[in-house]
Amino acid sequence: MNVLIVEDEKSMALEMEFFLKKAGYLCDLAFTGKQARQMMSDHPFDFLLLDLGLPDQDGLEVLKDAKKNCPETSYIILTARGDLEDRIKGLDLGADDYLPKPFSLLELQSRMQAITRRKSGLNDSVVPLGDFMVDLNKRTVLFNGEEIELSRREFDLLSYLMLHKNRPLTRAQLSDHVWGDFSEDDYDSNFIDVHIKNIRKKMMAYASVEWLQTVRGTGYKIKI
Amino acid sequence: MKLLSKITLYTTLSKTVIVLLFILLLPGIVKDVTSQYTNYILKEQKKKVLDNIQKKGIDYYFEGDSSYGSYTLLKEEFIALETVRDHSPADSIFTDSRIVENDTLTYRLLDYTFEYKNKNYLLEIGKTVSAIDQYNRPLQKVALYTLAGLIFFTLILDLMFTRLLLRPLNLIITSKILNRKFPFKETILPVKTSTTDFKFLDQSLIDLASKIKETFEKEKEFTSNASHELMTPISILQNKMENVMMDQELTEMSREKVVGMLSILNRLKKIVRSLLLISRIENDQYVKTDEIKPYFLVEEVLNELKDRIELRKIRIVQSLSQYIVLTHLNRDLIFQLIYNLINNAIRYNHDEGEIEITDQIINNESYVIHIKDTGVGIRAHELETIFDRFKKAVNESGEGYGLGLSIVKSIAQYHDIRITVQSEYGKGSTFSIHFPKLLTFAGT
Repeated sequence: MNVLIVEDEKSMALEMEFFLKKAGYLCDLAFTGKQARQMMSDHPFDFLLLDLGLPDQDGLEVLKDAKKNCPETSYIILTARGDLEDRIKGLDLGADDYLPKPFSLLELQSRMQAITRRKSGLNDSVVPLGDFMVDLNKRTVLFNGEEIELSRREFDLLSYLMLHKNRPLTRAQLSDHVWGDFSEDDYDSNFIDVHIKNIRKKMMAYASVEWLQTVRGTGYKIKI
Repeated sequence: MKLLSKITLYTTLSKTVIVLLFILLLPGIVKDVTSQYTNYILKEQKKKVLDNIQKKGIDYYFEGDSSYGSYTLLKEEFIALETVRDHSPADSIFTDSRIVENDTLTYRLLDYTFEYKNKNYLLEIGKTVSAIDQYNRPLQKVALYTLAGLIFFTLILDLMFTRLLLRPLNLIITSKILNRKFPFKETILPVKTSTTDFKFLDQSLIDLASKIKETFEKEKEFTSNASHELMTPISILQNKMENVMMDQELTEMSREKVVGMLSILNRLKKIVRSLLLISRIENDQYVKTDEIKPYFLVEEVLNELKDRIELRKIRIVQSLSQYIVLTHLNRDLIFQLIYNLINNAIRYNHDEGEIEITDQIINNESYVIHIKDTGVGIRAHELETIFDRFKKAVNESGEGYGLGLSIVKSIAQYHDIRITVQSEYGKGSTFSIHFPKLLTFAGT
């Protein structure tokens, strides 16, 4: 999948590129609105990650035109402005998602994956996890066809860890994903521990959950 | 007491005192005046007699006799002239009794001895004291009535004038202080007055209000700008750290350090976000046009917090009326307000504690939601500061209440909602949200 990162803050764009490349995306960078328009007319992208605060033009204008020319592309707005109005305008103009800065790259990838899944239909939404099968669209965990009941947040945690498998995630990263704007650092980290404990307990009744590992001093990871 | 009432009271009292003093002193004064006047009359008469003697000789009176006496019909005045042998000089005015035709009467008397053609004479002129006194009473009455009338007149005049004088002060107080609300957004014209003190006071208040407004605006702008400007570097830092974390070669120690850095950055992010939210609220960036059924909003919040409630085994009792509708609110903000309060009620509760959410309509006027927990409670001296930004009340586990309650306060102020807290340390707290009348009506 190829991604165009439109971001005037160079070091920010480079970090995004570094991360997304490792996650298997092909990335191009544009630092101005003009550059972005040029590159989009050269060849189509699957994703456009768009910063609204560009030096030469309003990101919303870029979005409006891009949406007209490349309706197939998925658009995610990234902004430090964070005004509610921008959010509503952006989504009205057809953006697929909206991430206020500062955001986590893990969260960005998760949103991109969700958009891809939504657009590609139900085909590849069932993923194996150890002896279990996880249906990301129906949000269920199955063992030999039998459904294991996880709460909404437990499933959120599990799928987030799966998306970033083999990488240790901190409790703060996990709680940020699960609680979003409402998360509070230390307090929520405790809840993450309790949630993980519950996930293990519920799934261990069926099969081994050795893949769900505690990383000392950091948090948790799924190792496959 | 109002200045006008004080001045009214003072003027009335002081004038009353003057009248009383005058009543007290009046008899003495009148007596003194009449007695001096009598003395003057007596002396004038003496002069006349001596004048006559000088011009016409002593026989003008004596007519050959050796003494002369004359008195008025009611014996109120008399003149007596006689020769005396020894010449003991006398020239005095005094009060004594005299017998005139068998009547003993008290007189004011003038005695005067003089020599005329080698003979000594004594002149005595008298006027009865009762005749003098009879003028006293009417004189006193007239004086008293005149004074009382004048005092009453000036009193009315004084009060009217003070009222007129103080009117600008009243205007200043109502227009500049009572009817104004922080942060003094509307501009107000100066009060018209010719009194320089009031002009000064008025201008000072106007200046003060505009200074407060200006400072407030600056602070808001700064918070908003600073937050925006901080978000970008925080964003870059966070992404860099996340990328470092991905490095497989990283030693366990280094990774733990990066985790620590991320968590500190996270804290910074939360603070900046909260400040940004507060400054946005204070900048009127949210529209207040939503209608809310509190019952369903609270249900939504509880659903959002379900995990935490279950994990802490907290019992929730929700008995809100389903038929109350609140209007002119911003739904997202009210959601956050209630979320923060219920979240705190869970956070500072004991495991297996209880949270009771009840409502109440007070005097058919305001609608109140009470959120009562059985948690750690708040110490009395901390109650006043828990809503202040950065003033952190610390509970037993050393955690602060942070900016959550500051956000609650900002949202409440923005909607004219009053928040009150009752708490007993160690037993729990009750936060009450008072929605003003304007916002509530019972629907179906």
